[in-house]
Amino acid sequence: MQFTVEHKPTFAHITGTGRLNMVGAPKLREVVAEVVSGGSNHVVVDLGGTEFMDSSGLGALIGCLKLARQAGGDLRIANVRPQVQMVLELTSMNRVLTPYDTADEAFRDA
Amino acid sequence: MTPSPQGRRAVVIEDHDDIRNLLAQTIGMRGFTVTTAATGLDGLEAVRRDGADLITLDLNLPDLDGMEICRRVREFSDAYLLMVTARPGEIDRLRGLELGADDYISKPFSPRELQARIEAMFRRPRARAEQADAEELRRAAEVQRSLLPATAPAVPGYDVGGLCRPSRSVGGDFFDWYATGDGLQVSLADAMGKGMGAALIAATVRAVLRSAAGQPDMAQAFRDTCRHLENDLVHSGSFVTLFHARLDTARGTVDYVDAGHGLGLHVHAGGADRLPSGGPPVGAVPDTEWASGSLRLAPGDALVVVSDGLLDAFEDVEEAVRAVAAVVAEHPGSREACQAILDLVPSDAAADDVTAVLVRRRPTAPGGAL
Repeated sequence: MQFTVEHKPTFAHITGTGRLNMVGAPKLREVVAEVVSGGSNHVVVDLGGTEFMDSSGLGALIGCLKLARQAGGDLRIANVRPQVQMVLELTSMNRVLTPYDTADEAFRDA
Repeated sequence: MTPSPQGRRAVVIEDHDDIRNLLAQTIGMRGFTVTTAATGLDGLEAVRRDGADLITLDLNLPDLDGMEICRRVREFSDAYLLMVTARPGEIDRLRGLELGADDYISKPFSPRELQARIEAMFRRPRARAEQADAEELRRAAEVQRSLLPATAPAVPGYDVGGLCRPSRSVGGDFFDWYATGDGLQVSLADAMGKGMGAALIAATVRAVLRSAAGQPDMAQAFRDTCRHLENDLVHSGSFVTLFHARLDTARGTVDYVDAGHGLGLHVHAGGADRLPSGGPPVGAVPDTEWASGSLRLAPGDALVVVSDGLLDAFEDVEEAVRAVAAVVAEHPGSREACQAILDLVPSDAAADDVTAVLVRRRPTAPGGAL
């Protein structure tokens, strides 16, 4: 799993490419922790390149969401592919981690 | 313990014919019995079937990513693992070593260098600590198996079955059931992740659920259970999906709560309906209130709950649900039906634990009596 971080004017844009599983999950936690501790508490995780997510991956997203909220901000996800969408729906986590179509839309209300 | 040179076995996983032959020949000269495989899946199968003291692994295989194979090998084998790579990038090397490779060699390589590397690896004996770990894991697997119900409860008018197949020695799935005064309680849970960490969480969830079994109101019992668990789960950064149901045997009614599980099914003559979930997994969102649901089992109907490991074998949830409905219709016995559900996911393709529980109301006898 490869991550890139781009700092936009209103949020940090993290893109993840690969499989968000037991191997990728700790890396996502690290990347988000670094971004949040660097002062960006509005985070978008762009999952356009994430073809697969398992429960460890979902756990990492939940952990990152908590982290961003504790810092007074929020974490949102964008551009999810069908398998990730399925995991979110199955677990009812789409009610909490609502996917946005694009990263730019995610914090339009902020 | 390092086996004597004569008894050593090697598996060469390499898709390029010439390189595979060269590897096999070079390794064979050091006294190994060599099995070769041209794809990752064949290679994994060979290691499982024949065992291996040494594996050479090409990182660019047609079917599976070399890193993925490395990870899967480490789930069941502690063979010395030598990666053979045409991708000399530093990141690949580090990742491979992180995932449990012992050494790597870049293509093109000289046969003498390969032999020297192998002998150097075998001079480093596997730490005793690893053997102790393996023994502990085996014990843990035994304990976990013993926590699953050994026999189905006798519930007049119903046929109950359940099976669990962890992807590793231990896993995060479990099911449980117990007869109550007027019926039966059934739970199926899936703790985040895999392996030992998930198994510890699963055992905790089981114990807390059991302790709430005497509470007459199911929704209340579920809430109490979840309050206890949430704290532990938040501290461990984990969560659990949970399906918990109570069956009233006389009425055929099932009251249930689904916490982010999403794979409870009502299987009937017309097919299968997925039971709506009542909220997110336990531990995922603080202070959740879960909505409960209910359904009625007509004679011949079944409540089936599966874990998401089943989905690995299907394109989408709907396809998986249809397959489960078909299998349940085909197998009148609950246990056989559960086995058939597990068989929908070939065990060598299973990346996750797979669990199924089934409660079927027996069909009304032709004479009309129940």
